[in-house]
Amino acid sequence: MTHGAGAGLFERVLDAAAGDGAGAELYERRGALLELTEDEEGSTLLESHERGLALRLFKAGRSAFAAAGPERADSLPAEARRRLPRARARRGVRLGGPAPGEIPERRPLSDPPPPDADLARTLLTSFRQALTASGRGAVTVREASVSIGERAERLATTAGRDATWGSRLATLVATVVGRSAAGRFSARVVGAASRPEELPVARLARHAADRVLLPLNGRPFEATRADVLLDPLVAAHLIGRLAPLFFGDDEESLLAARTREGRDALASPLVSLVDDAAAPGGLVRGVRDGEGTLQGRTRLVERGLPFGRLTDVAAASRLSRPPSGSAVRIIWSAPPRIGVTNFFVDPLPGVSPLDLLGSVGRGLYAAVLLERPDVDLSADTFRLVVAGYTVEKGRATERVSEATVSGRLSDFLRGITGIGDDLKFALGGTGSAGSPTLLVPRWKTG
Amino acid sequence: MKEPADLMRDADDAVKLLSGLLRRGESGEAFRERTRTETWTASESGLLAPALAEESGTAVRIRREGSLLLVARSGAGPEALRDAVREAGRRAGNAPFFKAHRGAPHSPGPDDPQRPDEEEGRTAALAAAFARALPDPRGLALVVEVSRVVTERTVVTPRAFLSCGVRTRLVASGTIRRAGSERPFSFQSARPFGEAADAFAAALREATRPTSGLPPATGPVDVVFSPSAASVFWHEVVGHALEADAGERGSVLSRVKGAAVAPAGLDVVDDPGRSDLPGAYGVDDEGSLARAVPLLSGGVVTGLLSDKRSGTVDSNGHGRTSSYRRPPRVRMANLVACAGEASLDELLDRCGDGIHVREVAGGSADPESGRFVLLVSAADGVRRGRRGSPLAPFALTGEILSALSSIEETWGSEVLPATGLSVCVKGGDAVPVGGAAAALLVRGLTARAARR
Repeated sequence: MTHGAGAGLFERVLDAAAGDGAGAELYERRGALLELTEDEEGSTLLESHERGLALRLFKAGRSAFAAAGPERADSLPAEARRRLPRARARRGVRLGGPAPGEIPERRPLSDPPPPDADLARTLLTSFRQALTASGRGAVTVREASVSIGERAERLATTAGRDATWGSRLATLVATVVGRSAAGRFSARVVGAASRPEELPVARLARHAADRVLLPLNGRPFEATRADVLLDPLVAAHLIGRLAPLFFGDDEESLLAARTREGRDALASPLVSLVDDAAAPGGLVRGVRDGEGTLQGRTRLVERGLPFGRLTDVAAASRLSRPPSGSAVRIIWSAPPRIGVTNFFVDPLPGVSPLDLLGSVGRGLYAAVLLERPDVDLSADTFRLVVAGYTVEKGRATERVSEATVSGRLSDFLRGITGIGDDLKFALGGTGSAGSPTLLVPRWKTG
Repeated sequence: MKEPADLMRDADDAVKLLSGLLRRGESGEAFRERTRTETWTASESGLLAPALAEESGTAVRIRREGSLLLVARSGAGPEALRDAVREAGRRAGNAPFFKAHRGAPHSPGPDDPQRPDEEEGRTAALAAAFARALPDPRGLALVVEVSRVVTERTVVTPRAFLSCGVRTRLVASGTIRRAGSERPFSFQSARPFGEAADAFAAALREATRPTSGLPPATGPVDVVFSPSAASVFWHEVVGHALEADAGERGSVLSRVKGAAVAPAGLDVVDDPGRSDLPGAYGVDDEGSLARAVPLLSGGVVTGLLSDKRSGTVDSNGHGRTSSYRRPPRVRMANLVACAGEASLDELLDRCGDGIHVREVAGGSADPESGRFVLLVSAADGVRRGRRGSPLAPFALTGEILSALSSIEETWGSEVLPATGLSVCVKGGDAVPVGGAAAALLVRGLTARAARR
């Protein structure tokens, strides 16, 4: 399907933007999304197509941005040009060129096909069944929604880059209600995958049941110093909050402060942090970033020590290194900014999580997060409010309704003495964050 | 409120197209939206030039019994509407009648509805506001995005073409870092740009002030909320609990409709008609006339906010959406609480030892269990009825019914608009909301440490 603005719009806008000594970068996105929601009132089927174009002009260290849908895309060159003379920008802003050997594709985009509603229906049914089994009848779905999205992207510059790529994402979001003699509790859970067939439906159902039943049926954890085991999905949300430390050159001072100018490790020698657009199990399957740079694997922390950085073209220029392909366009109507793809703790040195559990004398297994993690990178503090199980002599015993794991973040990261081999990812930041089970002994918990 | 003339050019044809789409037993509407956003990125060293984004879209919605079909397309002209109607008809098994209503080709409207010198004027005003807010930015690091968002919306029903009006807001969000700690910053105003820029400067100045002190001790505490903070309290404790999307018995408050839960004389109304507040609108995003809904009258639970999917309850004009791509759902607009008779000093005196909360940065509530959390960003200790030293950010938690029954019998005499309440996110959808309330004394909430 094409819109009124017609085919050839992309080329027309790029041609009009070139000239006056300015470099131009034009980005186009076409997306198709299908979302099926079932709640107590009935069902909602949402089918949407979007198309948008974004232009950046670069001249003499200045950069101007304008974005519009196809109806008004022809006005983009004039809008950007009008802002360019008074456009202040950060040092290093410049047009990205093609990588050596990169051949311009010059392939027009077409609309992605509408996703399959029957597949969404099947996934919702599977989730309901799995939740009934996991919750043993004590957990119901108030609202559940599966969305399947696909998008096609194209980016061309007057410096010779012209690339086309695509990506997919599927999510399952549910609000579930747990009921017990102690009362009711509701919670919202989210699962995601780069393909709908890979959605972890059964795992999400187990997680949802724990999320509402543990706070109802457990007992508060007594404040004590205890071994702490973080479930991969709990740890992933904490790890994901570290990502800004590695964004361009913005947070170099913060990272330096955390490591005393590199004299200290950022984390335990067991911990290596990686951003990888093709990580197995990662929720993002990227080929190129929002500036058209090819994406790959970037090692950010190597055995506890800072190693690399996530960069776009401008930050890479300031740091005199090649860009890591980390410019992210969350929406087409905003300029790209540095972000993650799949940012995770490398599980390579990991052991079975059962072995980690077996090594705990007395501790807490943090199975679910009850609140969004509170992480202050400047103050070097964190706070997790979790529910889970007490662990005695290597076995999970009582349910814990609520426990707080908090303290100095750098001490916690350096205190990791065991990591599992069970890497899992959760949606976080601009992409996904992942971690295996983490073990930190003798941590103040209450 | 201005009319979005450009979106109304094909009004007659659009109404005919919609009436031809719907079948017996179905209801529905088309929704058009155009948004123009100018965004300035601000750091401690000043403003970067604005980026511009213009986006428009059309959605066609068909309801049949409890089901909703929504088809969304880019573009707000006749072609996008016809495309969406065609696809909606195909998916619903209808056969919309097209030929008789073919309209004139659509032009996307004036090339530049905003004059360039106006935008330059706004940039200058914002830069000045920024300089006033941060006369000495040493020791400060901040990244704040400031956007002027102009939104035009119309709803096409099978009978009428309804304008939701043109709304302009100044919104800002970002992070402020000072002396080894960071805090989020958010701001919103629906006032004219000059006034909004002044309010932004005041909010930023307050947010960048060094926060000294410790958080309060964990445990029960009596709390005096400022008018602005009280708005957030009402939003989380009463507003969300009386949104009908959880069902008529889906929350601890909706389950006790008709019961006295708060002091007699306390009225709380959700009023989309308060055009001075950011959540105002005349027609909701489903084409229903917006109505003020009393939620608490004399302390008794009396109302429920509803949209067109609220089961047995008729819509009272609270179907709102964050974007044409998203289905509308029941949402608050402007939650307004009535005035009492006490001065702030009287409330502090009644409090004795406790906390005076000046601003709440955010919060959440679980209507099912009744538990709620308020993230306090600015507060002072209260000792023997007098305000003491500032406290570090912390969280207040409580249970809805207990908190309402613990409100002191007298409350503030001055109702003021909230400054911290801006955008409400529910189910991932953000809509602008407002509030106005008087100062309030609530006993026995629980304080606990939090970063913000």
